[in-house]
Amino acid sequence: MSTPVAEHPPDEVPADGIAARARGLTKAYGSGETAVLALDAVDVEIARGRFTAVMGPSGSGKSTLMHCLAGLDTVSAGQVWLGDTEITGLKERELTRLRRDRIGFMFQSFNLIPTLNAAENITLPMDIAGKKPDEKWLDQVIDTLGLRGRLKHRPAQLSGGQQQRVACARALASRPELIFADEPTGNLDSRAGLEVLGFLRDAVDELGQTVVMVTHDPGAAAHSDLVLFLADGRIVDRMERPTAQAVLERMKRFDVTRTQADGDGAAEEV
Amino acid sequence: MLKATLRSFLAHKGRLLLSALAVLLSVAFVAGSLIFSDTVSRTFDRLFASTAADVTVEPKDDLKSSVPTGAVQTVPAALAQQVAHVDGVVETHADVSVENIVVVDSHNKSVGPTTGAPTIATDWYVTDRSPVKLTSGHAPRGAGEALLDADTADKKQVRIGDTLTVQAQPGTFPVKVVGIATFTTTNPGAALVFLDPAVAAEKLLGSAGKATSISVDAAKGVTDAALKHRVGAAVGTGAYDLRTADEQAKSDAADLGGFLDVIKYVMLGFAGIAVLVGIFLIVNTFSMLIAQRTRELGLLRALGADRRQVRRSVLTEAVLLGVVGSTLGLAAGIGLAFGLIRLMSAFGMNLKATEMVIGWPTPVAAYVVGVGVTFVAAYLPARRAATVSPMAALADAEIAGVGRPLRMRAIVGSVVGLAGAAALAGCAAATKTASAASLLGLGVVLTLVATVIAGPLLVRPVIRVLGGAFPALFGSIGRMSQRNALRNPRRTGATAAALMVGLALVGGMSVASASMSKSFDQQIDKTLGADYVIQNSNFQPFTQEITDKVRGTDGVGLVVRQRFAPVAVRLPDGKRIKTTAAGYDARLDDVAHVTYAGGDTAAALADGALGMDVDFAKDHHVRLGSTIPVEFQGGRSAEMNVTALTDQGGGDGFGMQGGLFFGIATVEKYVPGGQDSSLYVNKTAGTTADQLRTRLEKTLDPYPQVQVRDQADYKKLVHDQIAVLLYLVYALLGLAIVIAVLGVVNTLALSVVERTREIGLLRAIGLARRQLRRMIRLESVVIAVFGAVLGLALGLVWGVCTQQVLALQGMSALAIPWSTIVAVVVGSAVVGIVAALLPALRASRMNVLAAIAHE
Repeated sequence: MSTPVAEHPPDEVPADGIAARARGLTKAYGSGETAVLALDAVDVEIARGRFTAVMGPSGSGKSTLMHCLAGLDTVSAGQVWLGDTEITGLKERELTRLRRDRIGFMFQSFNLIPTLNAAENITLPMDIAGKKPDEKWLDQVIDTLGLRGRLKHRPAQLSGGQQQRVACARALASRPELIFADEPTGNLDSRAGLEVLGFLRDAVDELGQTVVMVTHDPGAAAHSDLVLFLADGRIVDRMERPTAQAVLERMKRFDVTRTQADGDGAAEEV
Repeated sequence: MLKATLRSFLAHKGRLLLSALAVLLSVAFVAGSLIFSDTVSRTFDRLFASTAADVTVEPKDDLKSSVPTGAVQTVPAALAQQVAHVDGVVETHADVSVENIVVVDSHNKSVGPTTGAPTIATDWYVTDRSPVKLTSGHAPRGAGEALLDADTADKKQVRIGDTLTVQAQPGTFPVKVVGIATFTTTNPGAALVFLDPAVAAEKLLGSAGKATSISVDAAKGVTDAALKHRVGAAVGTGAYDLRTADEQAKSDAADLGGFLDVIKYVMLGFAGIAVLVGIFLIVNTFSMLIAQRTRELGLLRALGADRRQVRRSVLTEAVLLGVVGSTLGLAAGIGLAFGLIRLMSAFGMNLKATEMVIGWPTPVAAYVVGVGVTFVAAYLPARRAATVSPMAALADAEIAGVGRPLRMRAIVGSVVGLAGAAALAGCAAATKTASAASLLGLGVVLTLVATVIAGPLLVRPVIRVLGGAFPALFGSIGRMSQRNALRNPRRTGATAAALMVGLALVGGMSVASASMSKSFDQQIDKTLGADYVIQNSNFQPFTQEITDKVRGTDGVGLVVRQRFAPVAVRLPDGKRIKTTAAGYDARLDDVAHVTYAGGDTAAALADGALGMDVDFAKDHHVRLGSTIPVEFQGGRSAEMNVTALTDQGGGDGFGMQGGLFFGIATVEKYVPGGQDSSLYVNKTAGTTADQLRTRLEKTLDPYPQVQVRDQADYKKLVHDQIAVLLYLVYALLGLAIVIAVLGVVNTLALSVVERTREIGLLRAIGLARRQLRRMIRLESVVIAVFGAVLGLALGLVWGVCTQQVLALQGMSALAIPWSTIVAVVVGSAVVGIVAALLPALRASRMNVLAAIAHE
């Protein structure tokens, strides 16, 4: 069984720094006897300029981890940093500003405001902030994502894949420190899904962005540089330069442990 | 199915809350006005029944005038003795009761009611029928003593021992208050002064031998009707009106009824507005609820519910809402009636709230209105619900209603709109007031209906313009709020319609009233030539003493008196018309500019001569030189010669039919003892206007009932009277706005729920709470301003057409109160902000993660 990520000494982090980091991150729902731990003292570091995938079975806490790292959810205990900023303890207003200026988001579905066209959706976070977009960068993003001809279209006039590309462009447009993608291919057919994953890969390789993607699809995770495996609220494994096959194998082991655990009536140490 | 309906009703009770509130308001006004008028009628019926004598003999008076003349019709006091000999009569009394007086205290302040209710001076005569009893002091003895009613004494701080001055027609005299009389029944709001019966007739009527009526008490076993018949046979019915107690009570109630009817109609007007605006709110609520429940309804259909069941389910929900709203509204109506009764007490009418009357028609009306309104309003949405296909349960459908084409609305809206426009054009072109007014009514209704139907079609073009600056001013927040308002034109249209109706009415009324003011101003400029007019602000006539004092004031040159007389004229076309004629002193031309189509002032004011309006004359085939029989009060009549026809641009100036006028000598001859209504005063050479005013004001200091007015003051007086009408309109507007705000709140709240995921996404990508609130506020503002613009545009058209009708009545000037219109638009923006407060707060408090995950 592989060593939990927390036991990796910090100096293993690549030289170009850490985009986000959590120490003892705990998230509990409910209280007292009935409390359920969604995250159990997780320590994690997201390397800058890399494409990190977070995987795990349903209920493993992968979405909660992303929400806590992105300042969308409060933590029960522990600390979270975005770059050098500790975001645990920030006020609601500061968190909102942080999300707006420093983080890009892609969700599984309903990513776009239906009343705004593609161009307006892409620049929305900057418009909200009252900032002028960097036109050169914006052009590059739009061209990379092949959205040039779709800018005046409303979301309803775009295919699912095109909508996710617009969402991707929005996440990239303000050149955030970190892009969180929550099951970005979950609602797409395999061809459109591959396209979006390709763009996220390009965003990291060509545009130098940092991407964290939550997924349950081994094929999607295979596009990343590093896969973190979550189970029962803990990071239980990590895999550099993953392949779909390797990830799938690793995921199968969760199913086995789970079946065994159920069968033996005792929890297996992971 | 019923269980599903009940569950659904309870599940949506929060969303139905505002609809229930709208029902509540409508029902409360209906129930409140019924309860109030029932209570008042019963109280007064009781009062009048208990105070009416078995039989009352009064002077014959079939020419009751709406314009008071100050003249008192009398019967000989000796009639009482004559009647006393009639078989079956136990007792008679010669009553003296006059209202043509003013009573002032030592500071020359009137002790009379300020509400327009009369001050009544009467003889102190204790019977079972007295509405008052002496509660302190003693009965008045001799000419110098009087009693005052307790309510007036309280309000005006008059105590026993104080001296009051009674300005009566025969002459002013002082009295010492020697006692206080307290109402044992309801005080109708009048001030009462009681004098010693021995002197009352002389002091108030100028002669001890006169009385205003004779009260007759019947012996046991003699019915009122039988006694009336016998008394009639004894005194003759030619010169007298005889009434039994019942008839007298009914007649008294009818006199008061006019005033109470006004209150009742005002209240029903409020109820009407509440119902009208409420319907929009309820239609909109049900439409939105059904749109949100499309999948649920589809599931019901898929599980085998047929269309009728779905429709019935929605209508059952509506009826439940109606029942709940009506019940609460009935309770609120009782509260409202209670408040009104208390308010009337503040005005001096001491009704007892404990004696509130709730007749069976009140709850019936409440439930009919409440349930009827909700049923009617929910009917269309229910039909639409029934058309939901079972497939809707499976499809991840867009919200229903958004995509449906508006073609049908466009067609119906333009047909009705064209019909309405044609009616309004016809109204503007009409030459007869009656036909113009009915065309106006038709046009108003049709254009309103057309605008409501076509409202959703106007949403896009109008809001594009209204919100056009939003993206530039507020960036993407402005852009999103503008587009959110455009998102569902049906919904925006229906929401704005509620505000539109109220504002259209206000727009129309304010144009009409501004035009009236301006027309009156022009009329006053054109016709009034006097330096000063001396007049009562209620146009009540005043005692001769005032005329004498004014004449005697230093610097007064010419005084022209105006005096009114009720008349009935029999015209060449065979019609008998009852109206009021005016009498003037000879030099009328020096104080007024009268335009004649034939004849002149001298001819009109000559002995036996009569002037009238040229259009009236034409309508009734009267020509210069026609001789017309004119009846006056008290059975007097004369043949009068039409010697002048006036052409005052359609208006007769006094609002009295026919514009009849003659020399004041004619009035004095046929209506003796009348009082002047106005004095037109010119200064002498060598006196400045200011000097004259100062002197006149000094002269009139003891007479608080009359004021000195120059042209500007006179205009202001007229404006103030028109303003009363306007205040009523504003009150109606207030109510319409309250309900319209409920509608906007309702729509926004439901929209916020619908857009939960979108709001979650916006918050996730960094929209601050403040910005989210602003977005919702701007959407609300644009909807409200849309309603205001539509309403005002409609109101302006109505107002201009109304003015065309008024022009036929001589009010030829058109005035558009732009400042009011701008204020209304700005006000509607404020309304939008207020309406958005709660929905915006709710949206900004949403949990971001829960919102994103929202289904």
